[in-house]
Amino acid sequence: MIGARLPLLIDIAIKHLAGRKRQSVVAVFGVAVGVGFFLAVSALMVGSQNDFITRLIDAAPHIVVTDEIRSPRPQPGTIAFPRGAVILRHFKTRTEARGIKDWPALVAAADAVPGTIASPSLSGGITLKLGGHEEALGVIGIDPEKETRVSTVESNLRAGHLRDLETTQGGLVVGEELAARLGVGMGDVVAATSASGATRSLRIVGLMKRGQTAIGDTSGYVLLREAQSLLERPFIINRIGIKLRDPYAADPVAKRLEARFGYKAQSWQERSSDILSVLVTRNVIMYTVVSAILLVASFGIYTAVSTSVSDKRRDIAILRSIGFSQGDLQLVFVIEGLIVALIGILLGWMLGFGLMSALGSLRFPIAGETQYLPLDHGARQYLIAATASLLAGIVAAWLPARKAARVDPVDILRGAA
Amino acid sequence: MIALEARDMVRTLDGDPPATLVAGASFSVERGRFTTIIGPSGCGKSSLLYLLGLLDRPTSGALLVDGEDVTPLGGDARARLRLQHFGFVFQFHFLLPEFTALENVLLPIRRLGALDATHASERARTLLAAVGLSGKEGKTPDRLSGGERQRVAIARALANDPQIILGDEPTGNLDSKNAANVVETFKSLAHEENRAVVCVTHDPKIAEAADVRIAMLDGRIASIETGAVAM
Ligand SMILES: Nc1ncnc2c1ncn2[C@@H]1O[C@H](COP(=O)(O)OP(=O)(O)OP(=O)(O)O)[C@@H](O)[C@H]1O
Ligand SMILES: [Mg+2]
Repeated sequence: MIGARLPLLIDIAIKHLAGRKRQSVVAVFGVAVGVGFFLAVSALMVGSQNDFITRLIDAAPHIVVTDEIRSPRPQPGTIAFPRGAVILRHFKTRTEARGIKDWPALVAAADAVPGTIASPSLSGGITLKLGGHEEALGVIGIDPEKETRVSTVESNLRAGHLRDLETTQGGLVVGEELAARLGVGMGDVVAATSASGATRSLRIVGLMKRGQTAIGDTSGYVLLREAQSLLERPFIINRIGIKLRDPYAADPVAKRLEARFGYKAQSWQERSSDILSVLVTRNVIMYTVVSAILLVASFGIYTAVSTSVSDKRRDIAILRSIGFSQGDLQLVFVIEGLIVALIGILLGWMLGFGLMSALGSLRFPIAGETQYLPLDHGARQYLIAATASLLAGIVAAWLPARKAARVDPVDILRGAA
Repeated sequence: MIALEARDMVRTLDGDPPATLVAGASFSVERGRFTTIIGPSGCGKSSLLYLLGLLDRPTSGALLVDGEDVTPLGGDARARLRLQHFGFVFQFHFLLPEFTALENVLLPIRRLGALDATHASERARTLLAAVGLSGKEGKTPDRLSGGERQRVAIARALANDPQIILGDEPTGNLDSKNAANVVETFKSLAHEENRAVVCVTHDPKIAEAADVRIAMLDGRIASIETGAVAM
């Protein structure tokens, strides 16, 4: 039914808009600017947020299992009488040697999930010595092949590779600042002393870039076996880093591992919950700004359509007398709003694309590296902008269009006669 | 054959004091006749015509179109009837300013949607030619003279071949030559094509040429005369 008359109603709407060029152009411009700036702002916000979260996720493994426990182990008495009337408090927990027991089972459990890699490590403190100079070092023993896949250490190396730890007896990777303080470079040998006083030589096989690593300046990597013998804790590890295929599954997986093995398993979400809550605020701010922009755009459409209605009261009466229905006239003016919105959206897309290209070409030198603004070029933002503007346009046109439908032709005819 | 029948139609306007525009009109309008409504200014002629043309609803009473009571019909049904069966010509031509003569005539044809684009345009051209406007199809109303505009309005009123044609002082703004043309057109629509033609007029010459004269006074039907007055 509506199909046959639609082209005619669209014709009338177009003629109305074309007859009032300035108002139509202003309204279209309002939508275009709204859509364009929405695209630019949201590309920045979404882009920087994605970039930020990627950094957050990649800064450390998605899940870190440590040899800490969040609540003391159940005591023998509690286990023997699970529904006992007595609550035990202030009991002395048995001191246990630190380290993750049965870690091979934990690693196997993690590895069993497809796409998941677990990297066990042991960390402890040693002292590096070169001549009279001493530096404290947190040494982390790793399996280079696994650690490369779990963390970003490898990509933050200025020189050398993690796998060189395997090929060089007593290999060590340290931060370039620490190396500079000790006055050593690639291939140089330093003396390492453990807490118990044992001493051995380590050879520098890799240097980490300054300011790029989460573990800081006073840590270094050695082979896991090396760390276990340096720290005199054979077969022991105290940390497992786990990387998942889907980072957002980290929370439930961490909870499962912790429930099963008792060791504290911290997901990246838990680790950075305070930062994530800041992102929520950021999103609220962004969508508030965006709604304001769209509101302004729909004001433009409302004004354009509503002045069109009051200018065209006579035409409305003519069309009604010819035999157009109230619904026809309401539709004519809704279509006017839609046309303004559609043209505005198309121009806004172009404007937004242009703004994004301009922003994307800006260069920022940060810490000696040229950086570009992280921009999200996803089609999703274009769709959101279009849908929101169309809806706003329909609502903004609907109200004056209802007024058009209610114009009584007889009132107009009486007034003119 | 009776095309329109008014049964004690009353139209009042709320207000202080309430105004009575039409106070109980009962009469019928026949096909094949040129009917005029006459009376002093303000007596309710236009108001009556809006009621006859389904543009307005009577406060009480009823209107029958071809024997069927249209009073209870809703807005869409009345719009449909206007589109198919009624043609209006007003004193002020009432064309859409952004549309050419041809497009104005096409409005009712396209809205009805019975003809495809080619036939619709053909019909509109024929109608414009019939009122002597061949070659002016592409002109917008601001490029046409008053008489030409009125003829476009007549062509538009006839677009969907309506059986009932209503005019409200259609010659009020025309010189005597143009006015005579319009009257001739209306008469032939009634006599040769057997349509019902009702025309509100102040012009005694037109009234005298009519088959039926409905005289109004203060919203009432004062008299109904039949038969052309010999000139
Ligand atoms: N909105 C209104 N409120 C009150 N009275 C009105 C209103 N509109 C019209 N009238 C009155 O209704 C009466 C009939 O008006 P109508 O236009 O039908 O007269 P008419 O016979 O067509 O006059 P004319 O020959 O001048 O066109 C007039 O007396 C007029 O003053
Ligand atoms: Mg009048």
